[in-house]
Amino acid sequence: MADEPTREWSDDQLKSDDLPKKDIIKFIQDNAAHSFLNEHKLLGNIKNVAKTAKKEQLIIAYNQLFLSKRFKGTEPVEEVTEKVKAVKIDEKPKEVKTEVVDEGPPKFFKSVLKKGDKENFPKKGDTVGCWYTGSLEDGTVFDTNIPTTARKKKQTKPLSFKVGLGRVIRGWDEALLTMSKGETARVEIEPEWAYGRKGLPDSKIPPNAKLIFEVELVSVD
Amino acid sequence: MTAGMALEQLSDVVQKCQALPDDNYTTEDHDVFTIAGRTCIEEGHSAQVLSIVLDEKNQDIVRSMGWNLLPPLIQVLLKKEDKNLPQCLAILNHLLQTCRPKELLIGLLEQLEHDDPNTIAESIHLLLNPLQKVLLCLGSRKASSLGMTLSSVLDQVAKLPLPHTKEQEEDDVFLLCRCCTDLTDFVRPFVHEARLNTLNCNENTENMEGEPGKGKEDELQTELLKFCMKSLNHPLLEVQLRDPDTLAVSPLRNFATEILKSLGAIGESLPALVFQPLLKRKQVPGFLEEEVRYPKESLASLAHLVFVHHLTADTFPSVFSPVFILRSNMEHINLLLSKTDESRIQKGLELYEKSLVRVENNSLPADLLEIKTLLTVPQNLVKVMTMCPQHDLRTRGLKIFQLSIDKFDTEAKYNFLQYMLNVSHHSGVEGYIIKNIKNQIDHALQPGNSNIWFEGVHLLPLLRKVFSLPDGPETDLLQYLDRIMESLNLLRYLIIRDKVTENQTGIWTELYKIEDKFIKPLRVGVNMSRAHYERELHNTMEIKKNKVKENSVLSVSVGGEELPNMTSESQIEALHSALHTFDMIESVLVRVEELAEVKETL
Repeated sequence: MADEPTREWSDDQLKSDDLPKKDIIKFIQDNAAHSFLNEHKLLGNIKNVAKTAKKEQLIIAYNQLFLSKRFKGTEPVEEVTEKVKAVKIDEKPKEVKTEVVDEGPPKFFKSVLKKGDKENFPKKGDTVGCWYTGSLEDGTVFDTNIPTTARKKKQTKPLSFKVGLGRVIRGWDEALLTMSKGETARVEIEPEWAYGRKGLPDSKIPPNAKLIFEVELVSVD
Repeated sequence: MTAGMALEQLSDVVQKCQALPDDNYTTEDHDVFTIAGRTCIEEGHSAQVLSIVLDEKNQDIVRSMGWNLLPPLIQVLLKKEDKNLPQCLAILNHLLQTCRPKELLIGLLEQLEHDDPNTIAESIHLLLNPLQKVLLCLGSRKASSLGMTLSSVLDQVAKLPLPHTKEQEEDDVFLLCRCCTDLTDFVRPFVHEARLNTLNCNENTENMEGEPGKGKEDELQTELLKFCMKSLNHPLLEVQLRDPDTLAVSPLRNFATEILKSLGAIGESLPALVFQPLLKRKQVPGFLEEEVRYPKESLASLAHLVFVHHLTADTFPSVFSPVFILRSNMEHINLLLSKTDESRIQKGLELYEKSLVRVENNSLPADLLEIKTLLTVPQNLVKVMTMCPQHDLRTRGLKIFQLSIDKFDTEAKYNFLQYMLNVSHHSGVEGYIIKNIKNQIDHALQPGNSNIWFEGVHLLPLLRKVFSLPDGPETDLLQYLDRIMESLNLLRYLIIRDKVTENQTGIWTELYKIEDKFIKPLRVGVNMSRAHYERELHNTMEIKKNKVKENSVLSVSVGGEELPNMTSESQIEALHSALHTFDMIESVLVRVEELAEVKETL
């Protein structure tokens, strides 16, 4: 605990106009740990720091220093220059970054046309099989995997994929997780959870299109 | 042997054999029949041969030995103007009906092989129909023979010159397009048969994940799959397909469409094929077979046909998420862009562009960069941008590079730009990246756009990388010019834009370091370079004045070979140009320092 620096100025002295910012800065730079200086934006050329820091801030920092006792030598020697970790793309920032963004209500609406067995609900990663028809709000059918005759249906297979992994549009992933085996549902999906502002260029789906699917979940593995 | 003799010999051997059961024909009988028969046809006596062949008494002989007559017959038929054409055609048709399929097959296939493109194309056109007839006679044993036939035909097609322009496809001078059309017609009944087979054993759901639902591998389907995969590679990966509004009727586009439809008919799911790089297929014993069964280049070709040309788009499900499609296509793009072949590079660029365009700007998250191809593809793209001989491809590559940056969200942009700055190793590309960084900072400084990546704590490490000279004061300023100029532009921008009192970017607290590590060495470098070049200029002008034998000041070698020396005039020009460049660098440096000083004293 030896060698702790002592306060040079009282509060009144600090607030006085006679005390130049430069002096306070110099004191703090001379006595504070590097990380303290960094956090309070007091690193660098005194002239420059004086430009950017207000007197009030400096007073606060000065007092903080003595409160927290983060003097030079109280923390392990740190790297002065932060190395650019070029290839480590997975480096996460040290502070907590984004607050959880409230996305609002789900962007799809489901109405059950035929009930399922209410027992076999797919979980994320399960493979599901579906027959479906997709249409736009005006009724145009843009996609279906249901063939026209029953005979042909024997030849065709239901669409099969792993649900909940972002392989399909979000509206599908979310809706299917709420369906049980055997269920047929009508699912209306807002563009945000379908193809959004872009739509599907070169296809029948225009920008900002709400999509309506009739989906029959036939298998869950 | 004369024609007359040949005819006699033929009649004799036929008469002799009429009396024998066919397993008693001797080798000599076979030989005599073959040689005599061939000579007769070659000499133009096909009418007589026809009557011998049609004679009811000779059918056993014909069945046994008739196929040996194929070579000269086909020669005549290929010639087209021969007056013996009708008779030869009649002989051929009769042989096709009478002889054993396996032997006919061998005989016909032999006649496919040629070296000159014209004969190749005509042979294919002539022989595919007979081959089809023969194969259909083989019943359930046809699969391997069909495979052999398809393989041979594709090998021959591979020898034909490819059309490169729309006009060339229309003219089809080397008949490649006609061969493709012929192939489609040829393969149709077999695809149909395979479709029926699929229908019959379609109890299990074969899913997108590609797990084989049926136990016994259907051989016919396997051969057709091989054919489709091989076609996808050649000719389809090599040619450029035209869209309907460019070329209304395109045999090549039709061929491609038929291949895709055939894949569906034999039970292959197009989504499963196209997304294969991302789907964990069950490790079937001998999983290397998967690579052979579904060659990577063929799948890349398929992805291009589906996503760029939208072939069979109405049967491809419109439910997959654009990000998933992008992730999957990156594997194909990586393969295509890593070649030097310009046709593949072009397709890689097209596929990349189409995949990016479906994604919203600022939407791709940073964790996507953990996927290897998201980093290797841009590096391959840089190679295209800087080294591809074709100007259009370089330009397009750059446009797509910018497009890819725009799709990332802010954190991902930060990581990506930092990564590319480190690995590009090309001054022009680095300059372009630094310009992007400047744009991002500008964006962040606008009200409401504040973010932690292009301001504040995270920006500084990036800036330190930007404001650095690779070799300190000894850096070759001309080589790194693009990068240096963009860095200076960025510095000037920051000093002007960021108020000293606000210091949002941190530039003001960083400036003293930048002066130390960047500005000072740059100044030194400029002075040194200028002095050096001024001396060289002086020397060169002296040499010119004295008309002393020119000693080269600069020597340039490309690919190990030294280029001829520049003339004095050119050298002087080059040196002046270099000096001008140093002036330019210096003027920006001076401006930067002026601005910094002004702001600091405010």
